[in-house]
Amino acid sequence: MENKCENLSLYIIDQLSEHEKEQFKRHLKTCAHCQNELESLQDTWQTLSYDMEEVDAPESLKMEVMDFIFKEDEKESPHNPIKLFLTKHFSPLSAGITAILIIGFAGLLWYNLHLKDTITALEEQMASPAQIVRTFNLKGQDIASSANGTAYLLQEGHDNSLIIELNNMPGIKDDEVYQVWLLNNGNRQNAGTIKPDQNGNGLITYRMPKDQSFDDIGITLEPNPNNTQPKGRKVMGTT
Amino acid sequence: MKNKSDEELVKLIVQNHRPALEELYDRYINLIYSFSLKMTKGDTEKTKEIVQLVFLRLWTTKRTYSASQGKFANWILTITRNIAIDLIRKEHKHKGTVQLDHDEWEKIQGQQSENVLQEVSSNLLKQQIQEAKHQLSEPQKRLINLLYWEGYSLSEIAKLEEKPLGTIKSRLNQTLKKLRNYFSEETGGVRHGK
Ligand SMILES: [Zn+2]
Repeated sequence: MENKCENLSLYIIDQLSEHEKEQFKRHLKTCAHCQNELESLQDTWQTLSYDMEEVDAPESLKMEVMDFIFKEDEKESPHNPIKLFLTKHFSPLSAGITAILIIGFAGLLWYNLHLKDTITALEEQMASPAQIVRTFNLKGQDIASSANGTAYLLQEGHDNSLIIELNNMPGIKDDEVYQVWLLNNGNRQNAGTIKPDQNGNGLITYRMPKDQSFDDIGITLEPNPNNTQPKGRKVMGTT
Repeated sequence: MKNKSDEELVKLIVQNHRPALEELYDRYINLIYSFSLKMTKGDTEKTKEIVQLVFLRLWTTKRTYSASQGKFANWILTITRNIAIDLIRKEHKHKGTVQLDHDEWEKIQGQQSENVLQEVSSNLLKQQIQEAKHQLSEPQKRLINLLYWEGYSLSEIAKLEEKPLGTIKSRLNQTLKKLRNYFSEETGGVRHGK
């Protein structure tokens, strides 16, 4: 048994640093002892989670959870649970990208959001800081000629997220959406849709798949959501 | 939706299919809720927030799950535990110290004796865990509690226990093995490694 074998339990409880984890994974490939132990000890660790009283969740919870997630679809709400949540629990923030995703999510309802300040604040407060690795300026054209926006490419560990903030977007019909495309050597990748609020502001976060890269961002006005290739005309792009 | 596997439901969620999310909710909410309630020591408000975040994370980050990663229940509980620990650790940090105050120690100990006194549960698995925990020494029980349910890191626990990190690490090794051996003897459910 080598020295590295003692990291097995730390690997199982996920308390190795990224670097140590990589090292241990390499060790695991060649160490029969650890391979034999891994599965049963992992099962043991996971079995601990069943050391609880089984209770029924309240009936009303489902609606609250679904509202929390799908609130953006509603035109008006008495209060914004996400914002409340953020003020209550996210100072100081430490949930990393999750927090960013929530912020992005809240953005649709959250007026006067100063995104950059928020991100900077997040960076200062987070245990594992997200970094803005690239910034893009977006300029409107066609029907959206007065619109503008900014996109931030955020990196947290090995994860990349793209956050796009748009202002002065013209209002759109019910079915219509603004759709974001990432352009890479002439290929287009769908990166989500935006519906601006009544002030013309919109915000979207997109978690980048591993190894995806892009040169430019384009935004089209689509007659309906979820197209895999653009059908509508281009209304914004990187400058 | 009812006849779809968990794996298929997760795939549908990646494609923004809301009914799939609702179906997963119906299947696992009691498990997730009960688990979060234990993590928050019975705080229903915090539990609600954890549950909301678990499903928000499923919906927004589009994580994929395949049956080869083990039981879905374990997968979703791992996500739930990570989210709960994020919240809990924030509270630790808020106190500015990892030192538990006296009340909190009493609470932990109270919980333990409560567990021991608890009448035998109809839940076989839980009963086995209780029995296995019986086999542990007090420091080993404390370690599992702080580590698994309270979200402390090993080095924080070393400080709390006023022991070198190496001691805590080997205590962890011994504890996991003891539990593993007990589970496998009693249930045959956990494979015995060599
Ligand atoms: Zn080894």
